[in-house]
Amino acid sequence: MEFLLWLQASQLSHVIAKANHMLVASLQIVHVFGLILLLGPLLLINLRVLGLVLREQPLEDIVGQSLKLASLGLALSVTSGAFMFVSAPLHYYANWAFDTKMALLLAALVVYALIFAWRPAQVRAHIALARIHILMSLTLWIMVCMAGRAIGFV
Amino acid sequence: MDSLMTIAETLEQSAVGLAIAEGRYAFPLIEGIHLIGLSVAVGLIFLIDLRLLGVFLPAVPVRALHRQLQPYVFGGFGIIIVAGVLLFLSEASTVIASPPWPFKAFFFLVATVNALYFEFVIARRPAAFPEGVPLPKTVRYAAFASLSLWVLVIVCGRLIPYIPHWT
Repeated sequence: MEFLLWLQASQLSHVIAKANHMLVASLQIVHVFGLILLLGPLLLINLRVLGLVLREQPLEDIVGQSLKLASLGLALSVTSGAFMFVSAPLHYYANWAFDTKMALLLAALVVYALIFAWRPAQVRAHIALARIHILMSLTLWIMVCMAGRAIGFV
Repeated sequence: MDSLMTIAETLEQSAVGLAIAEGRYAFPLIEGIHLIGLSVAVGLIFLIDLRLLGVFLPAVPVRALHRQLQPYVFGGFGIIIVAGVLLFLSEASTVIASPPWPFKAFFFLVATVNALYFEFVIARRPAAFPEGVPLPKTVRYAAFASLSLWVLVIVCGRLIPYIPHWT
């Protein structure tokens, strides 16, 4: 709490929050594009691993390239989100939607990081496990998104 | 403009509009669904556009990607439109007073026309997606237009609560 008070009073916080209303709007916009760039490729990985699209294309190619794009989106969202938090830490403190979102985010990050440990041979041998894994990842990110949307309303 | 406002106020007074505006969690819940639908439809459109521009999955045939992702793109759009209409009903007069809204509507229209032109004219040409060589210029222009227009739609949409009035 003391840290948050210090953060709220900090120069950076004031620069973001007070100096420009449109800066916060811009961060929100980057946050949304990060999400789209994360969820789009992740959905493509889901569809491919579930065998719904591009079955004749090599799985590792689609997973590898999609993960790169998804990680770029994740980086955009996390960075813009961090700046949004710094601009008004007390607004996010004691907000149950924010706490829920952070808990879900932590779980989503762990499950997402584990996708990078996939090896093509293992995925082929344990396709059911890979399907559960990738569906779980998508579901967690959707939950992060829904909890995030609630922050401004509770 | 006044008659538009009257229509907007009537919409807000509709049973559905009132229910969403008054429910505690209805509005953020529908907003969340609007956002998920957006990530599905526009997220996948971005992937197709990036493929057409040659920067994503260059080894995957365009026809396969385009055809097979299509039902999910349409599904996502169905979700966006239903959720979007519900959100609009609940705060129509606030939304139409916001300067970014007419821009969003305009870019949405142009993006839709561009998508339909791509689907029904460009993509139906037999030589639209040759393999092993760069795609025709019209195809790449359409992809670039699609990317830019959807970006503009989303930017304007997200600005609605931040720029509520003209003056």
